[in-house]
Amino acid sequence: MDPTMPGGAAAAARVGRTFSPEPGVIRVVLADDSVLFREGLARLLAENGFLVAGQAGDADELDVVVEQESPDVVVTDIRMPPTNTNEGLLAAQRIHAQHPQIGLLVLSQYVETRQAVKLLQNASHGVGYLLKDRVSDIAEFADAVRRVARGGSAIDPEVVAHLLQRRGAYSALGALTGREQDILALMAQGRSNRAICERLVLSPKTVETHVGAIFSKLGLLPAADDHRRVLAVITYLRNT
Amino acid sequence: MTRRRWGLAALGIMLMGWIIGGEWVSIHQHVPENHFIDAVGGLSFLVAGLVALDRRPRNRMGWLMIAYVAVSYLGNWGNLQVAVVPMIGTIGQQPGGAILAQMVLSYPTGRLRTRFERFVIGTIYAVAIGMSAVIALAYDPRADGCTRCAWEPAPFPSRHAVLTAISAGQRAGFFVFLLLIMALWLRWRRATPAERLGLAPLWVAASIYMVVGLMGTFASPDPTAQPFAYLVWELQSVLQIILPIVFLWGLLSTRLARSAVGDLVMELERPLLPGELRASLARALGDPSLDLLYALEGQGRWVNADGQPRFLPTPGGGRQARTATVVEREGEPLAALIHDPALDQGLVRAAAAAAGMAIVNERLQAEVRAQLEEVRASRQRIVEAGDAERRRVERNLHDGTQQRMATLALSLAMLRDRVAGDPAMAASLDQAAAELKLAIGELRELARGIHPAILTEEGLPAAVEALADRSSLPVRVRADFDERLPEPVEATAYFVVSESLANVAKYACASGAQVALWRRNGSLHVEVIDDGVGGADASRGSGLRGLEDRVSAVRGSFRVHTSPGGGTCVVAEIPCDT
Repeated sequence: MDPTMPGGAAAAARVGRTFSPEPGVIRVVLADDSVLFREGLARLLAENGFLVAGQAGDADELDVVVEQESPDVVVTDIRMPPTNTNEGLLAAQRIHAQHPQIGLLVLSQYVETRQAVKLLQNASHGVGYLLKDRVSDIAEFADAVRRVARGGSAIDPEVVAHLLQRRGAYSALGALTGREQDILALMAQGRSNRAICERLVLSPKTVETHVGAIFSKLGLLPAADDHRRVLAVITYLRNT
Repeated sequence: MTRRRWGLAALGIMLMGWIIGGEWVSIHQHVPENHFIDAVGGLSFLVAGLVALDRRPRNRMGWLMIAYVAVSYLGNWGNLQVAVVPMIGTIGQQPGGAILAQMVLSYPTGRLRTRFERFVIGTIYAVAIGMSAVIALAYDPRADGCTRCAWEPAPFPSRHAVLTAISAGQRAGFFVFLLLIMALWLRWRRATPAERLGLAPLWVAASIYMVVGLMGTFASPDPTAQPFAYLVWELQSVLQIILPIVFLWGLLSTRLARSAVGDLVMELERPLLPGELRASLARALGDPSLDLLYALEGQGRWVNADGQPRFLPTPGGGRQARTATVVEREGEPLAALIHDPALDQGLVRAAAAAAGMAIVNERLQAEVRAQLEEVRASRQRIVEAGDAERRRVERNLHDGTQQRMATLALSLAMLRDRVAGDPAMAASLDQAAAELKLAIGELRELARGIHPAILTEEGLPAAVEALADRSSLPVRVRADFDERLPEPVEATAYFVVSESLANVAKYACASGAQVALWRRNGSLHVEVIDDGVGGADASRGSGLRGLEDRVSAVRGSFRVHTSPGGGTCVVAEIPCDT
């Protein structure tokens, strides 16, 4: 053990060193102050083809483990010791500033549009913001982790639902057909066109047409990537 | 008459002879000046000094005035061309100016207070005496062509030494004059407001005297040569009459203040507004900073007229020291006057006695206000304790129950994954997972209702924005600050916004609402405006009533402006001193 390393033995002990990662396997670092939840999540991810490169119980440990492992994605709880407020969020911002290539998936007991927008604005790619209990929908959750690891976005459906329920949104989205509204919601959650095809059982061409129609009806410029598309849609919905 | 008065009378007669004799000599020697004004000036100092010695026997000012008369008339007597008299007169009168400076600087006690003051006055004496000594040792009148002069030739006659001494003395005189001004300035700066009130008249008179004196010095070395210089010189003589009167007035002014106590009695005959008694006492005693505190019966605590708790000043405490004069009735403390230590104790007691009944009345009022204040403070404590408890419950839910339920959902999901081959088992696990999901959602909403986590974590503007995000109406939020406020303030403001927005959504039929948060004059202002049907009534709706109670519990104010069809505007102002 390197004696100069901050975080000490506890952090080092949890790091499962992987010297020759298989190509294509997504390397994940987990942070949550509940050991039970963290271990469960680690097992879940391992069983679903991810490689859990390290775990951390607080933000300081997380910094150390990320430095050591440089994973593809970090999954962190928003509230962690010592102040139990938003350490996870701050740690995520810190990690993004130093390693913009690492995807960040933030879990929280509650979701706020404001925090989602902040995360989207601060990160140039690969950011997720989900309710903690979404992990119980294993396939969905694994998909979200994968998306974030590859630079996409994952915004909790509850955030999107709140935005769509607003009276302002109701009148602004009046011009969209029912199908277009469904597609808009999925786009806002950060899903790619391909994922939308699969979800709604539509052909790629149909989805593309719908997406184009939505953008022109709402007066939005077509976005360069999925990440920017999410930000544009959410900002639009929030400001209506 | 007492022996002391006989003594003073004898001294008075002697010095009167000294003054009149001095003038008689000046007249006979044809000294060009207004002898009448000069004599009145001297007599004025003499009478003022005698009165001061009689009325304020322990005050040194009287002796200083007497000394000034004795010394300055040596000059007049010096005109008598007999033997060594001119020399004694010329030399002896020199400290006169120094005595005058000492009087001004040590007024009204006659005592110098600081080392710097003693240094300045000492230097003035030293310059005067030094100059006299050189003249005494080296002046030879015959060298100036004065053959008639009775001045005995000096032991070491040197015209050069005398001229040098005179010009050096003049230069030094200018320097010590600056030192004196500095000492006076320091004295003014250190003076308490009550002292300044006493110092002001003398300093006005002394400044005019000094300015005129300076003008005289610069106008001409020989005042008889020029009409203007002569005029200035005479003006100075007139001021010499006024100066002792000002000295005496200051010394006896506590007597004047006593008559102000009489006015106080008249003033207190009519009913007083709260705080008016303090102002009346402050005016009567000439101490604008005077404070009046009341003792709460049997509690050993003090409050001001508004019932706010206060402490008596502790003895000592340097320049800003205050003195407490406690007024008692039947051995129990009733009230305390907190005042400038420079005030005369007897006078303060007299004023307190004059205000007796008014003090008793205002104390009763203060007691009632203190009790009200206590009730209000306990209401605030109850509200704050409630808030703290809600925060604690939310935190426990978040870190305990919610966390456990999330872990449980995770375990259930993994279990479900393993029993994929057993459809019956899988179905019942799916059902359990769905139930759990609902429970987690309900618990989340419950926790948010108890206390929104975002308010604890990110503060008021963020929490209000979150409210706006969740509102079914478009809500615009404007906040001119980002920093954290005290928890009770944040909780109250959040409560106001959240209830008001809920009301808007329920009753207003509005197309939108605006929330503004801003800080001004140590208060947080919260405003929620909608464009709905209006007509909200705080006296009927229990929701608005609850808001009003909640805001006033933290000393805030709450108003609702509304008109049918004109929307509703809810405004709360919550004090927050951060």
